[in-house]
Amino acid sequence: MHPYELELEAVALGTLVPPVNETRREPVRGQPRAADAAAKFPLTLDDEPASSGTAVATRSLSKSYGQRRVLADIDLRIAPGEFVAIVGRSGCGKSTLLRLLAGLDDADAGGITFDGATRAQDLRGHRSDTRIMFQEARLLPWKSVVDNVALGLAAKDGRQRALDALAQVGLVERAGDWPAVLSGGQRQRVALARALVHAPRLLLLDEPLGALDALTRIEMQRLIESLWQRHGFTAVLVTHDVSEAIALADRVLLIDEHRIAFDQRIELARPRSRGQGGFAQHEQRLLDRVLTAPPSTVAAEPVHADADEVLS
Amino acid sequence: MRRGTAFALPAVVLIAWELASASGWLSTRVLPAPLAVLRAFWTLSLSGEIWHHVAVSTWRALSGFALGGSLALVLGLLTGSSRAAETLLDSTLQMLRNIPPLALIPLVILWFGIDESAKLFLVSLGVFFPIYINTFHGIRSVDKGLIEMARSYGLSGWPLYRDVILPGALPAILVGVRFSLGFMWVILIVAETISAQAGIGYMTMNAREFLQTDVVLVGILLYALLGKLADLLSKGLERWWLRWHPGYQAADARA
Repeated sequence: MHPYELELEAVALGTLVPPVNETRREPVRGQPRAADAAAKFPLTLDDEPASSGTAVATRSLSKSYGQRRVLADIDLRIAPGEFVAIVGRSGCGKSTLLRLLAGLDDADAGGITFDGATRAQDLRGHRSDTRIMFQEARLLPWKSVVDNVALGLAAKDGRQRALDALAQVGLVERAGDWPAVLSGGQRQRVALARALVHAPRLLLLDEPLGALDALTRIEMQRLIESLWQRHGFTAVLVTHDVSEAIALADRVLLIDEHRIAFDQRIELARPRSRGQGGFAQHEQRLLDRVLTAPPSTVAAEPVHADADEVLS
Repeated sequence: MRRGTAFALPAVVLIAWELASASGWLSTRVLPAPLAVLRAFWTLSLSGEIWHHVAVSTWRALSGFALGGSLALVLGLLTGSSRAAETLLDSTLQMLRNIPPLALIPLVILWFGIDESAKLFLVSLGVFFPIYINTFHGIRSVDKGLIEMARSYGLSGWPLYRDVILPGALPAILVGVRFSLGFMWVILIVAETISAQAGIGYMTMNAREFLQTDVVLVGILLYALLGKLADLLSKGLERWWLRWHPGYQAADARA
């Protein structure tokens, strides 16, 4: 049995299996263990030169919706190619921070720099090298899977590139299907392919696995990790799941009381599993930190209240 | 078997009707026998008279629909997409919507006389509002998340409209189209019975003058047939254009 599947099973059963082969666990950054990824998700592309990630920095970033303050004086530095997870209670502003980074919303004060420069962007604030995945896949139901992935690509070679991206997420055989017939996990894989086809240097993930069942989540985490290792983009993941954050991120940030309350580096070998030494300690420490924080006044509001306000 | 059951009731009614007419219990001045209606239809189609009337009526219906429908589509897209256009136009249009088109007939006769343009105007007006309102709401109810996604993927202007907004509004627009196709014939019937030199309405009114109840019935059945055809056409459009839509796939599977 492939070690990947072993781990999957171990997590599913809740049993703690020690890592199968400790020495094989540490991939060198930028040199992904292609064998692992290929075993589960066949790759048809030759490994392209990894487009290196964007360096992101924010300076005194603040955002309020009406009278309600969401973020205050966020100073954040993300290294190129770093995988950062942001955790926090519902309504703490973690999604808002991601929307600011994506250019979907404008900050009230402060600024964001990408690679040291203020944003180069189109009129509506979207950078072509930044892509975002939402909690819902947000596929266009009237376009086939491959046309969804090719959205925004030039018609010339768009279709072929879309098929290549679909192959990377293991869904090339569903290219002609309507999104409506896919499962939730498959839809998110299509959304991932749609983001990857643009070869982003910064991938923003807004709880993309939040609605998936436990097994599909683990599969998707593996997929995101292997694609991140392969392409070398900077990744920012917003999640409410502390163990997901630890499983994927180089750094976990906790947002509380509108600020970054906690910044934890995770130095565990990849791919990670819950049975790994140190995983549980990290998890416990983060959970303690989340739980000791007094429930903020906005915690009772629906998770996406801020998003709705923007859209209306 | 199910199909057979569905047609059982009409068959029984037809037979009873034929028997009632044949026995003289039902006067032909009230209702001609089904066979007489069939015979009238046959004579009229052999002489070619009926096809002339059908062609004239269909032409009126479709040109009125094209005129009113496209105007409604354009205005609906405009007010749906732009707040400024909505403030400017929508309350006026909503006010006009509450006037039944048929209430305008005296005015229309004064404006256009009794020739073709009067009928065209009435049909256009009748089909306008169902399409306008559904287009407006269709545009407004397009998933904001999809628009946000498409924008962040670099779509704007016409590509955003073509790939996201229009397809998203299409189910609602087609509901409007189906509704107005039904309404189109209602308006036309009334318009043609008022004054016309040709058309199904003219044929039936003319037949009434000569107490040809069988021809009157042929006219009525023709309207039913044409209405059904229009409905089938719009259903076909829905099946083709909304084939991605789970709701329409389910309907497909049942049919």
